[in-house]
Amino acid sequence: MGNVIVVSQRPSDAGELVGLARSIGDPVIVAFQDSAERVEELLSYGYKVYRVKSSRPEVLAKAISTLYNELKPKLIVGPNTRNVKDAMAWVAGLHDIHMAPDVAGVRVEPDGIVYKRGFLSERVTMTVKAPYPAIILVNPRVAEPAPREGVGELIELNVGDTMVRVLEVKAKELSGVNLEAAEVIVGVGRGFKAKEDLSMAFELAKLLGGQVGGTRPIAADLKWLPEDAWIGISGKRVAPKLYIAIGISGAPQHMSGVSGSKVIVAVNKDKSAPIFKQADYGVVADLYKFIPALIDVLKRRRGST
Amino acid sequence: MGNIVVLVKASLNPEIVRQNPDGTFDIDYTPLKISDVDRNALEEAARLRQVFGGKVYSVTVLTWGPLRAREKDLRLAVQEALAKVADEAFVVADESIIPGDYTVTANVIAAVIKKMGLNPSLILAGEASIDESTYQIPGRVAAKLGLPYVGYVKRIREVRGDRLVVERDLEDYIEVLEVPLPAVLSVTQEVNEPRPPTLIQIRMASRKPIHMLTLKDLGLDVKRQRSILDMRVVTVSRKQVLIEEASMEKAALKLVEYLEKEGVLRF
Ligand SMILES: Cc1cc2nc3c(=O)[nH]c(=O)nc-3n(C[C@H](O)[C@H](O)[C@H](O)COP(=O)(O)OP(=O)(O)OC[C@H]3O[C@@H](n4cnc5c(N)ncnc54)[C@H](O)[C@@H]3O)c2cc1C
Ligand SMILES: Nc1ncnc2c1ncn2[C@@H]1O[C@H](COP(=O)(O)O)[C@@H](O)[C@H]1O
Repeated sequence: MGNVIVVSQRPSDAGELVGLARSIGDPVIVAFQDSAERVEELLSYGYKVYRVKSSRPEVLAKAISTLYNELKPKLIVGPNTRNVKDAMAWVAGLHDIHMAPDVAGVRVEPDGIVYKRGFLSERVTMTVKAPYPAIILVNPRVAEPAPREGVGELIELNVGDTMVRVLEVKAKELSGVNLEAAEVIVGVGRGFKAKEDLSMAFELAKLLGGQVGGTRPIAADLKWLPEDAWIGISGKRVAPKLYIAIGISGAPQHMSGVSGSKVIVAVNKDKSAPIFKQADYGVVADLYKFIPALIDVLKRRRGST
Repeated sequence: MGNIVVLVKASLNPEIVRQNPDGTFDIDYTPLKISDVDRNALEEAARLRQVFGGKVYSVTVLTWGPLRAREKDLRLAVQEALAKVADEAFVVADESIIPGDYTVTANVIAAVIKKMGLNPSLILAGEASIDESTYQIPGRVAAKLGLPYVGYVKRIREVRGDRLVVERDLEDYIEVLEVPLPAVLSVTQEVNEPRPPTLIQIRMASRKPIHMLTLKDLGLDVKRQRSILDMRVVTVSRKQVLIEEASMEKAALKLVEYLEKEGVLRF
């Protein structure tokens, strides 16, 4: 038993990961960052659940590495979170095994795993074959969720001290917006000169019944938006009907996050900005002049119907 | 306090993706450039070098061929590292490890560090490369060298004797950590604002040594794990209609009209 190790960080990722693992072999689950209910859920898939009482990458890495030596699995599957990626890089290095994050599709063959993943900010799709054992971290919706009809066994997994010492833990400020479900998204970039100016974007989004998201520098660097409004390859992937990118240059790392949009509008004052080649409608204009005009036109249209 | 090693990758440039007529990716003609986040790592090395007081080395493993066609791009990337901060550069260019393989690359980097006697107190890398973006080479290198590893470092706060205090930006929270040296860190884009090297620095760089190595020099025998079966360019077909109007109102009216036709505006 246990030729596939499933690493689960969130309740939402467990079902699909266990589903994938079951289609390949015989799973055991490693769980962390868990509440009591979460352990209940994980046990209901009917497999052994190893609980690690910390979500720190080095703790997780040590735990998985111990389990790896014991079970000699042919595959480790997990989600693409920062904690898991970091832990698995170390495990992969220690045991010299292949690892691929952001996997968008897998096929199991007798002598190895064949997977697809985005390459070059997803401008290229790469298909790779790697021998067992391997580690793959998969995107959501790659596999069907497993049924919850079993009774698993809970095992505590304790690892000793790590070389790295935690002095303090700080929570991240999140807004709770669900950009993945938004039909209209107004995206803001460094073309905005001050945080207050984002009020224009919020007003526009409100008129269109949408949400506001932004580029990585806006969310992560300047912190003008909470981190869950960060769109792109290292942030959220969104698929609205309408995406309006304002003051955004169109870097591939941002655009891969919005490629699922039905219609993309770009507002940029630089006619040679790369975003215009990746947009359906491009407005060459200073956002400080154009956005108020657009808001006016929309308000008038609203008023007259 | 010791030497600093910076891992610098010459990555395929995602902004200039070339395609073959059959839709496959034209890897041989897509240019290489220094991986963006490695500039942040170099900037951090420049900031820390006074405190560390030793030498700064860059290590680069070429992962894309053909070798001869890559010479110029590779040199440019390495020279940026030298201009910015490195005293010496180590470059491994060997046909037998092209195209790259993650296990192989990490083993080669670890071998350069050990066999060339670089003896680092700190190894700095980027969080992810701009071509592969697998977030794994730094963690692998740490495991190979038996050193502590902290990824996603968004700030190096202070050097406290033989320890560093850093902030790590994880999925749901930020940690302040104390890391004993020597250690491997990968930094995020938020760690600093990299400044390009000055003209004087660029001129000085041409006098600094670049050590070109092969696997034979390292006494390494490696086995590649992955085989790339296919690489296909994802085609984006957007309408690319440009609206250029002197009157902002006219431009707005035009845009609204287009969006109504698309059926994505509701009043
Ligand atoms: C590994 C990695 C991961 C990354 N992940 C992400 C990610 O997930 N998401 C992401 O967004 N980025 C990501 N990036 C960063 C990305 O490469 C770009 O740096 C970033 O997207 C640029 O943001 P921006 O468009 O807001 O800023 P800029 O590139 O600075 O563009 C600002 C634009 O505003 C325009 N502008 C200026 N003033 C005005 C005005 N008055 N009116 C109209 N237009 C104006 C300018 O012409 C310019 O085109 C990543 C990078 C790396 C290396
Ligand atoms: N071939 C390479 N040569 C030197 N450094 C590398 C190489 N590949 C990756 N790195 C380092 O590892 C970081 C993460 O890359 P990756 O694991 O490819 O996402 C990069 O930012 C570099 O600092």
